[in-house]
Amino acid sequence: MDSNNKQPRRSMRQALGFNFYDVFVLVFCIGFALVCFYPLWYVLIASVTPYEEFVKGGLMLWPSGGIDLQYYKTIFSNSSLVNSMWISVSKTVIGTVLSLLVTSTMAYAVSKSYVKGMKLLNVLVVFNLFFSGGLIPQYLLYMDLGLIRNYWVMVLPGALNITYFIIMRNYFSYSVPSELEEAARIDGCNDISVFFRVIIPLSKPMLAAVGLFIAVIQWNDYYQYMVFIASKPLLQPFAWVLRRILTDQTMMSQVRNGAMSLGAQLPPPMALRMATIICAMLPIMCVYPFLQKHFAKGMMLGAVKE
Amino acid sequence: MPELAKAVRAPKAPGRPNKFMAYLRKYWFIYALAIQGFLFMLVFNYGPMYGIQLAFKDYKMNLGVWGSPWVGLEHYRRLFSDPVFLQAFKNTVLINVYNLIFGFTFNVFLALMINEIQFRRLKSVVQTAVYLPYFLSWVIFAGLVQVFLAAPTPGDVGGAVNQMLAALGMETVDFLKNPAMFRSIVVITGIIKTAGYSTIIYLAAISGVNPALYESAAIDGANRLDMMLHITLPRILPSVAVMFILSVSQIFLSNFDQIYNLYNNFVLSTGDVLSTYIYRISLGGGGTEFELSTAANFLLNAMGLVAVVGTNKFVEKMDVMGIF
Repeated sequence: MDSNNKQPRRSMRQALGFNFYDVFVLVFCIGFALVCFYPLWYVLIASVTPYEEFVKGGLMLWPSGGIDLQYYKTIFSNSSLVNSMWISVSKTVIGTVLSLLVTSTMAYAVSKSYVKGMKLLNVLVVFNLFFSGGLIPQYLLYMDLGLIRNYWVMVLPGALNITYFIIMRNYFSYSVPSELEEAARIDGCNDISVFFRVIIPLSKPMLAAVGLFIAVIQWNDYYQYMVFIASKPLLQPFAWVLRRILTDQTMMSQVRNGAMSLGAQLPPPMALRMATIICAMLPIMCVYPFLQKHFAKGMMLGAVKE
Repeated sequence: MPELAKAVRAPKAPGRPNKFMAYLRKYWFIYALAIQGFLFMLVFNYGPMYGIQLAFKDYKMNLGVWGSPWVGLEHYRRLFSDPVFLQAFKNTVLINVYNLIFGFTFNVFLALMINEIQFRRLKSVVQTAVYLPYFLSWVIFAGLVQVFLAAPTPGDVGGAVNQMLAALGMETVDFLKNPAMFRSIVVITGIIKTAGYSTIIYLAAISGVNPALYESAAIDGANRLDMMLHITLPRILPSVAVMFILSVSQIFLSNFDQIYNLYNNFVLSTGDVLSTYIYRISLGGGGTEFELSTAANFLLNAMGLVAVVGTNKFVEKMDVMGIF
C-alpha cells in the first residue's frame, strides 16, 4: 500500500526479468493513471493558455505562448465569486471543527461498549446511515427550527458524520492498545485523565486525517445550499457557483460581462469554466499529499479486523 | 456533584434508583462525551422522521403534518402508476447492474495490476494518480466532462474531444445530450472517480500474503501469472465477496451527486434515477409533489434497510467487520 510496505517478491524480480507480462501491467497501470490525472493537467494548462493558442487545440502538455492569467483575473474581479469563496472557507472551518468535536467524542463513548446503553446508542446512530426521513420531512423540520435560508443549515445538520463515526469508533475499539489505558488506570487515572492524557495524544494523527476528509466534504458540498437556502446569493458556497457557471447561462454571461467592464475582451465560456474548476480544485490539491498519506490507513481503520 | 451524591445516598431512596445513580456517577464522563452527539442525532437524524407520515397523508399547509388527513396507500398507488417513477426505478437498477459488471470487475483487476508493478516508486506514483479523483467533487467532475465532451456552440469552441474531431474534419458529437450514451458516461466517470479508492481494501488484503508462498511457488516453477491466479486472487476473494454483497445490497440506491451534475433535460429518459426523481418532483424544478416524494423515499429506505441488515449477517462471518 504505502511506501513503507515491503514488497514481498523483490528478490525474485531479477530472476524473472522483464517480460511481456510486465509490459502489460505497466501499460495498463500507467494508462489508467494518465486517464485519472491528464484531464486535470489539461484543464490547468488550458486555463492559463492565451485564447489564440487554445483554439488551435492540441494536447496542452505545457503552456505554449506564455502564461496568461486573464481568466483568473476575471474570476477574482467578480464580487459574488470572491464572496462565495469566503462562505466556503468559513463553512469548511466551522463545519469541520464542530463535526470533529461531536463525532469523535461520541465515537469514543460508544467504543466503551461495556458501559450500559452504548450498544443501543451505536445501533441508533448506524441506523441513520440507511434510513432517513427524506427531503420533505427534513425541509419541514428545518422550517420549524428557523434554519431555512439560514447560514447554519450548511453546518449543523451534518455535524454528526455517521461514516466517520463508524471509522473512529472502530479505531478507538481496535487500534488504541487497551494495555495503555489499563496502565494509566493503575497509575491512578480516571476516565477524564485517560481521555485527555492517553486517548487524545494517541489519536492525534487519526483526528487530523479524519478532519481533512471532513473538510474536503464540506468544501465540495453544495447540496445543503441548493435545497435549503436556494436563493440567497450572499450565502452561495463556491461549489454552487461553480455548478452555476457550468450549467447556468445567465451566471456565465454575468461573469463574462464583468470581464468586459475590466477592459478585457469577452472571454470564451469554456476557458472561464476551466479557470473556475481549477479554483475549486486548488484547496483540495494543497491538502492532497496529507490526505493520501492517511488515506489508505484511514479507510482500513474501519474495514479489516486485526 | 456532591449534592447529588448526598441525595442518592439518602437512606430512604429505594434500591433501584440508588444503583442507577451510582452507575451514572461511575461513568458520567463517558455519558457526557456522548451527549452532544446524541442531541445532534436526535434533532437532525430522528427529528425529521415524524414527517414520514406524509407518505400516507394528504398534506395541507394550514393543517400541518399532524393535522392533515390520512389517505392510506393512495400515494403508493399513484407512484406505481407514474411512468416517470417506473423509468427512474429501471434506470437506477440498470446503472447499478452496469456498475457491478464493469466497475466492480475493473476495481479488482486494477488492484491486481497495481500489485504486480515491480518498481516501488512507479507504484506509488500510480497510486497517487488513481486516488486523486476520489477527492474531487462531482461538480468538478461534471466540469471536466464538459471540458472534454461538450458540443461546440456559436461563440464557444466546445470540448477537447470535439475540437479534435473538428480538426480531423469529422462531424462533432453532442455526447452529453445523447440519451443512448448517458449511462455509459455515468459508468465510465464512476470508474475513473472511484476505482483507485476501491483498490485500497484489496491491496490491504494482498499485503497480508505470506511472501514465502511466492518463493516456494517460484521454486516449483510457477510464473507470475500462475502466482497471481493461485496465490494473490484466492487471498482477496473474501474481500471481493464482501464488496460484492455490499454492492448488490445497494442496487436500489442511486448516486444523486453524480447524476444530478451530469444529466440534463435531454437525457432524462435514460438518466433519471430515483434520488433525482425524488428531488425534482418536490423541491427542485418547481414540483410540489411533497407526499409522493416522501412516499418514494420511505419505500427506498425500507428496501435498502432490509437489504443491508440481511447482508450484514453474511458480512460479519467473513474477515471484514460488519458495520453494526
